[in-house]
Amino acid sequence: MASLLFYLLAATALLATLLCITRRSPVHAVIFLINAFFALALMFYLLGAPLIAAWEVIVYAGAIMVLFLFVIMTLELSPESQRPALSRRQWAPALLLFLLLLISAGLILTFDPAGQAGVPFFYASPRSFGAALFNRYGLAVEIVSFQLLFAAAGAYYLGRRRKARQPEESS
Amino acid sequence: MNDLLLTGLLMLIKLGMILAVLLTMAAYLVLAERKLLARMQRRYGPNRVGFGGMLQPLADLIKLLTKEDFLPAQADKWLFLLAPGLAAVTALLAFAVVPFAPPLELFGRQLPMVVCDLNVGILYFFGLSSLAVYGVALGGWASNSKYALLGALRAMGQMLSYELAMGLSIVPVILMARSFSLTEIVQAQASLPFALTNPLAFGIFFIAALAESKRTPFDLPEAENELVAGFHTEYSGMRFGLFFVGEYLNLVVLGAIITSLFLGGWHGPLLPPIIWFLGKVLAVAFVFIWIRGTLPRLRYDQLMAFGWKALLPLALVNLLATGGILLWLGGAS
Amino acid sequence: MPLEALSISTAGAFGSELMPPAESLLSLGLYVAMAVGLIAFLLIACRLIGQKTHSKFKDQPYESGIDPTGPAQPGRPVPFYLVAIFFIVFDVEVVFISTWAVAYDLLGWSGFLQILFFIVILFLGLVYLWAEGALDWSPSRQRHSATKEGR
Repeated sequence: MASLLFYLLAATALLATLLCITRRSPVHAVIFLINAFFALALMFYLLGAPLIAAWEVIVYAGAIMVLFLFVIMTLELSPESQRPALSRRQWAPALLLFLLLLISAGLILTFDPAGQAGVPFFYASPRSFGAALFNRYGLAVEIVSFQLLFAAAGAYYLGRRRKARQPEESS
Repeated sequence: MNDLLLTGLLMLIKLGMILAVLLTMAAYLVLAERKLLARMQRRYGPNRVGFGGMLQPLADLIKLLTKEDFLPAQADKWLFLLAPGLAAVTALLAFAVVPFAPPLELFGRQLPMVVCDLNVGILYFFGLSSLAVYGVALGGWASNSKYALLGALRAMGQMLSYELAMGLSIVPVILMARSFSLTEIVQAQASLPFALTNPLAFGIFFIAALAESKRTPFDLPEAENELVAGFHTEYSGMRFGLFFVGEYLNLVVLGAIITSLFLGGWHGPLLPPIIWFLGKVLAVAFVFIWIRGTLPRLRYDQLMAFGWKALLPLALVNLLATGGILLWLGGAS
Repeated sequence: MPLEALSISTAGAFGSELMPPAESLLSLGLYVAMAVGLIAFLLIACRLIGQKTHSKFKDQPYESGIDPTGPAQPGRPVPFYLVAIFFIVFDVEVVFISTWAVAYDLLGWSGFLQILFFIVILFLGLVYLWAEGALDWSPSRQRHSATKEGR
């Protein structure tokens, strides 16, 4: 039952991601990406990580995708903007990553065909997860706080500069 | 086999009753709001259909179902048709983690009076309330109308800003209950509700919930004298009805969440637990309606400034103070 | 992954919270299916029952009775999207804070100091944004800061 669910969710995530990159309308693409995140969150839950599942929904589906939507929603839906010509700068990195994925999958399959080396199943209850995060990775958490600080300040700086460059709108 | 069948049957009956009660409460809250607002403004409110207006929700349902289902020419068809459903479903699903009574002994087995007691219950609610943005945003965008788009943008900005204050004001509750599970949080309030032990968190959560449900004084996404009807300008018939019912479902769910996080859930003397729970939810809903009858609408910059400059810092300081005091009292090393 | 694996609990040093039983998850799944089914029924029913008439003017988006002028979308991102960026930053903060909150008694004062440092750093971020006027949405304030910049 659990493995069946796992494969169903994995197929959903793959299909949603595939639809996401093939949609012409950016808003539709965002919606399929949200679906993929949902499937991923449920997979995390099945794998015994309920906290990660919750954060996946809250941060990825509930915050980052809202930012995407925020920007995309205000774009004009002209036919040209919906059909971007793929330049080499766009497809070359994608191809490289795809090759990397193929190579790593091949390596795993040749060295460990039965999938024995996987991490043993461990159910991370919220309390034990919290304790482990701050006990073992306390320094990393503090580094994250600095990164977030820089992200907020940097985003504001970039956003503000664009605003200043534009001529003042006449009302 | 018989045993399994009985369990399944009980579960189905329970779930069906939960859905029926939720939808009925939402429908009658619409009526209650119209009646109460009318009384506060010295009017009568709906009093023609049924006994003193008691059948008004049914009449509204039939009317909305038979009205024209309008689809604007330039709308994004599928998103336009689905967005109202999304708004209602997120509100309905959020109720799944709220315990409304202690487990019931029935036919020699325990039937938990909650749909699913997740150990990340609060986060489940928090996640769904962050997804509630999509119903409004997609509905407003798909209409391809200026008023609708502006309403959707406003709704997104507002809901994002107040979600932060909401999330941070939940943290003191997590600290006091040491759990994300709503059942355990309710059990931790057996003697004293958290609204009394931490009134500041309660206040912040209440205001954030008011903004999250887009109600007066925070009803800017549908400010009718600026944006016609905001994100649902182009909607008609039952699709408008679903946005509308979704809002009242949200009111019931937020009432239930406030009840279980801060007002002690089903705990209370004398009366059976389920009565206490329903009474508290209705009391919260009444206060929401009362506020709508009393307060004017804020300006948008006031709304955003209040969320970011008042509620957010206050919630941060409050949670640090709560954590420090709890550690000091607990005598941790 | 076999089903037996799902019932393994941590039983480690940090308490013994179990995974919720399969029954309650089934209950959640059924609830989701019922809620979605009900709403889907309403959506389809109103499509079938309601009348449909079309005319050139009726299908236009509502713009206070005037012919619509131009597309609905402004065509470039409004500076308002900064709200969403700040939201992501502070949302991640909420993630870490509540992960600490649920295990605060296991972590003790050292955990409290860690989270205090974490919150103070992000509070500095909030103060910076506040001082820079990033949290001002009223037009008058923005114009004010724009003239200050120009000087």
